[in-house]
Amino acid sequence: MTTEAIKTHAIDISALNRGSKTTNDKFDPCITVQNLNLFYGSKQALHGVNMEMPRKKVTAYIGPSGCGKSTLLRCINRMNDLVDGVTIQGKLLLDGEDIYDKNVNVAALRRRVGMVFQKPNPFPKSIYENVAYGLRIQGVNDRRVLDEIVEKSLRGAALWDEAKDRLNDNALGLSGGQQQRLVIARAIAIEPEVILLDEPASALDPISTLKIEELIDELKEKYTIVIVTHNMQQAARVSDFTAFMYMGELIEFGETSELFTNPAKKQTEDYITGRYG
Amino acid sequence: MPENQSSSSKSTLLQLSSSDAYQRWRLLKDKIVAHAVVFGGLSIILAIVLIFFYLLYVVFPLLLPAHAEAVNQYSAPEQALGKTVFLSMEEQNEVGVRFTDQAKVIFFNVADGATIRIDPLPIPEGVQITSYAHGGVDKGVIAYGLSDGRALVVKHAYKLSYPNDKRVITPSIQYPLGQEPVVVDNLGQPLIKLAVKLGDKSNTLFAKTADNRLVLTNLSKKESLFDDEVSWERIDSDIDLPSENIEFVLMDKEQRNLYLASRSGELSVIDITDKSKPTAAYKLNVTSQGIQITSMEFLNGDISVLIGDSTGLLSQWTIVRDKQNHYSVQKLRSFKVSDSPLVTINPEQRRKGMLVADTQGVIGIYNSTSEREAIKEKAFNGKPIAVTLSPRANAMLLETEDAKIHFWTVENEHPEVSWSSLWEKVWYESYPEPDYIWQSSAASNDFEPKMSLTPLVFGTLKAAFYSMLVAIPLALFGAIYTGYFMATGMRQYVKPGIEIMGALPTVILGFLAGLWLAPFVEKNLTGIFAMLFVVPVVVMLFAYCWQFMPKTIRNKLPEGWDAILLLPVIVLSCWLAFVISPGIDALFFNGDLRIWMLKELDIGYDQRNTLVVGLAMGFAVIPMVFSIAEDAIFSVPKHLTTGSLALGATPWQTLAKVVILTASPGIFSAVMIGLGRAVGETMIVLMATGNTPVMDLSIFQGLRTLSANIAVEMPEAEVNSTHYRVLFLAALVLFMFTFVVNSVAELIRQNLRQKYSSL
Repeated sequence: MTTEAIKTHAIDISALNRGSKTTNDKFDPCITVQNLNLFYGSKQALHGVNMEMPRKKVTAYIGPSGCGKSTLLRCINRMNDLVDGVTIQGKLLLDGEDIYDKNVNVAALRRRVGMVFQKPNPFPKSIYENVAYGLRIQGVNDRRVLDEIVEKSLRGAALWDEAKDRLNDNALGLSGGQQQRLVIARAIAIEPEVILLDEPASALDPISTLKIEELIDELKEKYTIVIVTHNMQQAARVSDFTAFMYMGELIEFGETSELFTNPAKKQTEDYITGRYG
Repeated sequence: MPENQSSSSKSTLLQLSSSDAYQRWRLLKDKIVAHAVVFGGLSIILAIVLIFFYLLYVVFPLLLPAHAEAVNQYSAPEQALGKTVFLSMEEQNEVGVRFTDQAKVIFFNVADGATIRIDPLPIPEGVQITSYAHGGVDKGVIAYGLSDGRALVVKHAYKLSYPNDKRVITPSIQYPLGQEPVVVDNLGQPLIKLAVKLGDKSNTLFAKTADNRLVLTNLSKKESLFDDEVSWERIDSDIDLPSENIEFVLMDKEQRNLYLASRSGELSVIDITDKSKPTAAYKLNVTSQGIQITSMEFLNGDISVLIGDSTGLLSQWTIVRDKQNHYSVQKLRSFKVSDSPLVTINPEQRRKGMLVADTQGVIGIYNSTSEREAIKEKAFNGKPIAVTLSPRANAMLLETEDAKIHFWTVENEHPEVSWSSLWEKVWYESYPEPDYIWQSSAASNDFEPKMSLTPLVFGTLKAAFYSMLVAIPLALFGAIYTGYFMATGMRQYVKPGIEIMGALPTVILGFLAGLWLAPFVEKNLTGIFAMLFVVPVVVMLFAYCWQFMPKTIRNKLPEGWDAILLLPVIVLSCWLAFVISPGIDALFFNGDLRIWMLKELDIGYDQRNTLVVGLAMGFAVIPMVFSIAEDAIFSVPKHLTTGSLALGATPWQTLAKVVILTASPGIFSAVMIGLGRAVGETMIVLMATGNTPVMDLSIFQGLRTLSANIAVEMPEAEVNSTHYRVLFLAALVLFMFTFVVNSVAELIRQNLRQKYSSL
């Protein structure tokens, strides 16, 4: 695809974004994506994405498999840097700072932008040490401080009651849903500003999923949340804003209620009514 | 299968087209494979168990106790011809001989006592026999001291012939110094104590005369250069020493030392190296006050003296030289045989063992090296007048006061082996102090086998330790870098490259280590040590400078390919180390590190040393440790590393706190397998260590490992000999060692895996 074509798309979508922005007066952007292109080698995975994600709200990315929603999510904490042969063009601002600037400390950025993956990935350590991990990395080793933050984080992730008696047990002994909440506790222990959730409930049973969704609802009081989900009902239930992506392009972005009830684009309507994807 | 049945059960196309026969075949294949796998696994276990039991089977006789059994008992033949003064038997345990106090030699059948032959000795008319002596039990030499100051020396010998394919042993009496008695005392006084030793070139006789003089006579052979004529040169000398109490006299086979003892326990050693000028060398008391010496005899080899006393204690004494080159007579060990006086001692002829008997008829067979009491039995009532062990120490004859001869068989195959002789310090003959020594064989029968496994185990562990010291850091750091940081493109070449290193035959590595590396290290010792400092410093310096390079240059290097930049840097810094080493030598070590170490630190340098082995065996161990550890690190699930990075950890923190922890079971087993390899490795240590079984921690000294020892000595060990079985014991120790190490490693690994695996 030529750069000119990318530009046309970019203009298209920024116009669309402005449209959605006008619908909300108190819009406070936390994350701003500006004309973002991403290539895996020579294959382009994101095409001129522009969007602004509001602070302390839940933004959901929906779209069919391979549409680039996870890729976009991973751009926010630069996890794509770990993939061989990735090139990124454009800007991604967190609180107005470009996180792709050369002087950005990636480790510090990732502390500010926590992430929860599709598959629960607790470390092969105790529950306590899993939650304390991020703190120890920051050089916090005071037992009292750790105890306090671990409890607070586990309570924050609604896992405290289940885990308080077995803090020193191996985290791998927890169930999948518990593991996922542990991972969320681990993420909020280091007090990030943004939490990225990459299909956090797709590997869980319905009850665990429900718990995670309730948790997301609580977490948005403190954190800006971006969630990728396959499940449109979930997006509708938990998010304030929704972005629909297709083939590496942002098709539509707007308030969830509006996007689901009154989509501006035909493609969006087709997708949410289940015609493809 | 009936048509209607199958058609009723099959309805879909899939069911119709998949035949029952195929389903059965599928199940059968599954079963065959399952059984084959089980069979293979069990075969391996069986093979290991068989190896273990075979080793045990060969080693087991070492542990068997000795055994003696009375076979027959008969009256001494031809009692009319006198009382026995000396009893002996030949190698096949068929013909025995007794020398009587009437100068008659009676050969008899050992089994039943039937007389075979009587030889009267040519004692001149009117002369009485006043003393007897043997010139070494293994030599068959007997001497009679006579009342006219002369001595008759005879020898009993046996000839084997096979007429009609039957073994016939023909005994005979020979006169090594002629049928005419030899004059010992020129004054013609009766010889009341006598000692004699015959050699190839020199024969020495020593006697105490009735008027208490000590006389020494040496006959040395002079061969004419021009014809075969042999003449004897005679040296006579007197030994000026109070001699009234001297009761026991012994002369060693080298004819250098005379041991004279009084009944009261006073032992004098006379140096007779110069036959014309005997000098008193040592004098000491070998028993406590009031305890009497009741018998004295050499142990095989004539290096140490066995003294039996009136309390039933047998002690071993030898001349030792201490570190200041000072000689003294020391007691090596003692055996409590009984509570009665020990009247006779008979040494084994080929080993460091002896047969002792006391006045009550208690006999004991001991081994000095292993301090083992092989046999102790009450053989008869009363006092023995003569005892003898057969040359092979597998039979004995005991004659009692009532002229009864007892014939016993003895099974005592491996008396040299005991826990203490294998693992503890042993005070060997002529050694200044107890020590751990491995020296299993020598040319002569007099040799005391020194079979301590301790220096070999020490050598094995030392070689393993130093090679692990080289291999572990290199292999593990290499594995960490390759598995975690290195770009996939580069890893593709590096990993197989290092693994191919492991395919190098160790005999080639050993060959290179022994013939190229050892002289190289010897020549460039300073350079080798300089490398240890120069290479890391230069690498660090380079890395530090690299970050200041312009971005355009830095960006040309893809991430994870950094190692390739270091290759020239490392080569360069090695070269630099060797270039500056003469300067270092000149500046700090007076020009030569090795000489400086020897002078200043008293550290000797062997060319084939542990440093060379460490480098060569380290090289051999690296590929295995690297490969297993790298696999473990590389297979740490990506979701754990990304999880850690997403929490704001730096790559280094992620490595230290997540990757290594998760890979720890694999890393641990890599190290243990490396250790097992280093312990069992043979060819490299065989060729590069010098195989000196010394116990010295110094990295500049050689060593000998269990495995190399087996490889070196097994081909020359006589099958089923003690040496052979001890080598098998060494193999068993090695087997057990690797078995235990591997089992413990596996247990720990399973435990770690349960704890840290997230798969």
